[in-house]
Amino acid sequence: MYRSEKRSLYRFLIFYLLSTLILFSVGAAIFYAYEKHHLLDQQRESLKLESGQIKHQLMLLHKEFSEKLPLFIKKPYQCALFDSDRQLIFSTFVLPPTIDFAQEYTTYNGRLTLVDGIEPYHLGVAYIVMQTPIDTKAIAHLREMLLLFILGAGLFFLAIGYFLGRLFTAPMRQSIEMMNSFIQDTTHELNTPISTILTNLELIETLHKCDAKKEMQRIEIASKTLSRIYDDLTYLKLNHTHKRDIQPLDFSNLLQERLLYFASAIEAKNIVLGDVITPDIIVQIDPDDALRLIDNLLSNAVKYNRQGGALEIILTAETLKIKDSGIGIEEKELQTIFERFKRANKSEGGFGIGLHIVYGIVQIYNFDITITSTLHQGTEVTILW
Amino acid sequence: MVKIMMLTTACVFLLFGNEQQVSPELENDCLRCHQTHNIPSEIIYRRYLLHYSSKETIKKKMVAYLTNPSKADSIMPPQFFDKFPPKEPNKLTQERLQQRVDEYILYFDINKKLYTPKEDK
Repeated sequence: MYRSEKRSLYRFLIFYLLSTLILFSVGAAIFYAYEKHHLLDQQRESLKLESGQIKHQLMLLHKEFSEKLPLFIKKPYQCALFDSDRQLIFSTFVLPPTIDFAQEYTTYNGRLTLVDGIEPYHLGVAYIVMQTPIDTKAIAHLREMLLLFILGAGLFFLAIGYFLGRLFTAPMRQSIEMMNSFIQDTTHELNTPISTILTNLELIETLHKCDAKKEMQRIEIASKTLSRIYDDLTYLKLNHTHKRDIQPLDFSNLLQERLLYFASAIEAKNIVLGDVITPDIIVQIDPDDALRLIDNLLSNAVKYNRQGGALEIILTAETLKIKDSGIGIEEKELQTIFERFKRANKSEGGFGIGLHIVYGIVQIYNFDITITSTLHQGTEVTILW
Repeated sequence: MVKIMMLTTACVFLLFGNEQQVSPELENDCLRCHQTHNIPSEIIYRRYLLHYSSKETIKKKMVAYLTNPSKADSIMPPQFFDKFPPKEPNKLTQERLQQRVDEYILYFDINKKLYTPKEDK
């Protein structure tokens, strides 16, 4: 799966799951409230039933009126009896600080209380106050079941979302595959003619005396530019499967070599080169990655430099700094400069993949990169390793 | 021996300790007449309970009736007076009458009679 495809799929899945979760949570909350109310209703009903039993007992006891009046109360119910002046007659539990005789059902401290009026007043009892602990087990079970349901639904919708996401990103995948295939075909077709041009140019320069030196130089620069684009495209294409050979590399030597490679282009633009390259700087890096890093930074510094401008290169044990006096980059463009196919300035040719490759390499090796630029004054790229 | 004496004392307390004792004043001023004429004081109290519930109201109604007895103000049904003659106005002072009524209510006190057996249903 491609990175952009993955990103789109993740974003879709997050939004899809979040919206589904919100919808299900609202539904579950309504259902929970309804069921909880229903469970409490059941407990209220059983409390009322027990109160009815006590009323019946009071009626019988009133008739008997014996020396001892036993009142049978089922567990876990508790009972208190009050007369018409709300004075306590009898109680099996510690009464709450206040009892609202006008309210039939109340909940207090995890307990359900019923105030049930009696008439006529058997044994003088005008109110039966019943109390029972609220059955939290049933409510906890309901909560567990709802959580399980939401979890199950979440997994189900995750699977559905994944399937839908793959379906929606299929056109994107096809486009990327087509582009990759196009790049692959193009690079393959470019390889042979570029190599032929460069080889023959070298042969002409070595074996034959040529009067058109300037024209030859232009052909060389153009061919090298083409060759670099070819290398970049090949690097990008192979980036997924490329196995890196990270080794101690003489970065100073490589930088000198690449400066020689760019010499014609630098000379053609009359760029004043000021380089401070500390010798024998060793960096742990794959040679291909190092080549692409240097080539892209140098190429940009030359390409976007002005005629007769300056190019400053500093290589130390900690840093590589490449500073040009070119057209510069606008501040808002700096935010997105590392994106693939991003071109801050279209005055020069290119695909906009150079800094994307540089950023990719910097990320792989955990280097730090900073770009500072002033429009029409120049750009400075610093890499810290 | 000591154990047997202690057990006997405990049994006596258990059997008679909770029973409400009738005061001699209540016996003289009220219950004696009830016993002589077989007037059921317990049934009368039960009817008071059934109708008025609270001790305060029962006391008020009893004092009112005993001060000025009439069939219309009685808690008992009219048929009751076919068997038992209507009561004559009381000669006790208000203070003494109120004391006797209090003792009468205390004698039948429900609060002390009600209990929850250990073996619940």
